[in-house]
Amino acid sequence: MSTFARDPWTEPPIGLLAELTHRCPLACPYCSNPIDLVRRERELSTADWLCVLDQAAELGVLQLHLSGGEPTLRSDLEAIVAHARKLEIYSNLITAGVGVSERRLEALAQAGLDHVQLSVQDIDPEGCDRIGGYRDALARKIAFARAVRRLGLPLTLNAVVHRHNLDRLEGFIDLALELDADRLEVAHVQYYGWALVNRAALMPTRGQLERSVAIVEEARARFGDRLLIDFVVPDYYARHPKPCTSGWGRAVIVVAPDGRVLPCHAAHVIPGLVFANVKDKPLRWIWQESPAFQRFRGFAWMQEPCRSCPRREIDFGGCRCQAMQLLGDPEATDPACSLSPHHTRIMAMADAEAAASPPTFRYRRLEPASSC
Amino acid sequence: MSVAAEDRLVLARGVRLRFDPVRNCHVLLAPERVLFPCPTSVAILERLREPRTLSDLARELASEFDAPEEEIAQDVAALMRDLIAQHVVRVERRAQ
Ligand code: SF4
Ligand code: SF4
Repeated sequence: MSTFARDPWTEPPIGLLAELTHRCPLACPYCSNPIDLVRRERELSTADWLCVLDQAAELGVLQLHLSGGEPTLRSDLEAIVAHARKLEIYSNLITAGVGVSERRLEALAQAGLDHVQLSVQDIDPEGCDRIGGYRDALARKIAFARAVRRLGLPLTLNAVVHRHNLDRLEGFIDLALELDADRLEVAHVQYYGWALVNRAALMPTRGQLERSVAIVEEARARFGDRLLIDFVVPDYYARHPKPCTSGWGRAVIVVAPDGRVLPCHAAHVIPGLVFANVKDKPLRWIWQESPAFQRFRGFAWMQEPCRSCPRREIDFGGCRCQAMQLLGDPEATDPACSLSPHHTRIMAMADAEAAASPPTFRYRRLEPASSC
Repeated sequence: MSVAAEDRLVLARGVRLRFDPVRNCHVLLAPERVLFPCPTSVAILERLREPRTLSDLARELASEFDAPEEEIAQDVAALMRDLIAQHVVRVERRAQ
């Protein structure tokens, strides 16, 4: 049995990430949303989203990730889920789980929701409030998780980890087991959007990273048949970069709240790319022909060392947005790669940030941002 | 994890098997994962929408494919171990 598209760039897209809204009750400093958040007035209508789903199903999309912001703030979420179910698209709700009643959840389950992914900022109540910028978040999240399981829906706990909560990683595993979660995602912060702004405040030490690897390995050995644990290592300390979005324009489509379509949720950091909008263009054209999706398909755009590297078909040269953000060149080898001539400098920067005392968070807010 | 002949097996929570007319093949949808099972796996996975024991599976497949039951039982057991390790199939808790 093989995972994933077999031939690069000839297969239909697998997943659609629907950023239904950028509104969110929380204000996590590592939020991957862009600094320039989309306001409510510019959000797509229900009819727009249903039309996007119709086109996505025709293109071959199999999974729908309902994300944001906080997707449950859209009162039409049930209608969107029901439509996905009608089209046989697998629906996954990515939520912070505060302010979602059990009745609402039941309505979503009845509409055919397939899976719930709940973010937990910290297992320490105070830490959880401080990171999310929201009071009593943890108790609400736990109540939400219990409701998910009462309804018989599968549950993933998503733990974004960084220097402020990594020392409690065992506690996240205990919580996942206690809540009867099916899956735990331990994801080191990826430095895009707000996380990049807050990088120095979040960067873990190498010691913390190594400990987290050991804890996850041990937990997999002990609880592996009850709990699936996925682990995302921090880019800056990696040897090889992640295969970002499984290759540019190859498996994933991101639709922003206002209808712009991106190959990756961070792609707006690359200057010169124009993202077509589902309100103006058919999704099939955007996927197959739009210049933004074509920009980094294949290998011809690559520089050395990627161009002649045997791993290029595994990781596609890493992340274009990261190359842009750290080196100012979207065609460069992702500096997270140990073969990049800039890798040592990036690692040294991470080490230095992790060693210094953390600056205060700049919280993610819709208002013109100010330092908190 | 080993599987006994009388263990009841079923698709794991959140796992859905469907036919995809765009790719013209079956797909197995799970949280954050899509798998493309081969036709033999599909024949088995289709039956696991409802709980089945290894012996049930071996018997049903032996008659469908007109093959010796013992051989089939071994292949099925190996495939089940693999799918359980991937959290696609689970052993039903017998206490329930
Ligand atoms: S990361 Fe935090 S702030 Fe951003 S969408 Fe998720 S819960 Fe909201
Ligand atoms: S050089 Fe490029 S292709 Fe090779 S491992 Fe590094 S990022 Fe991947």
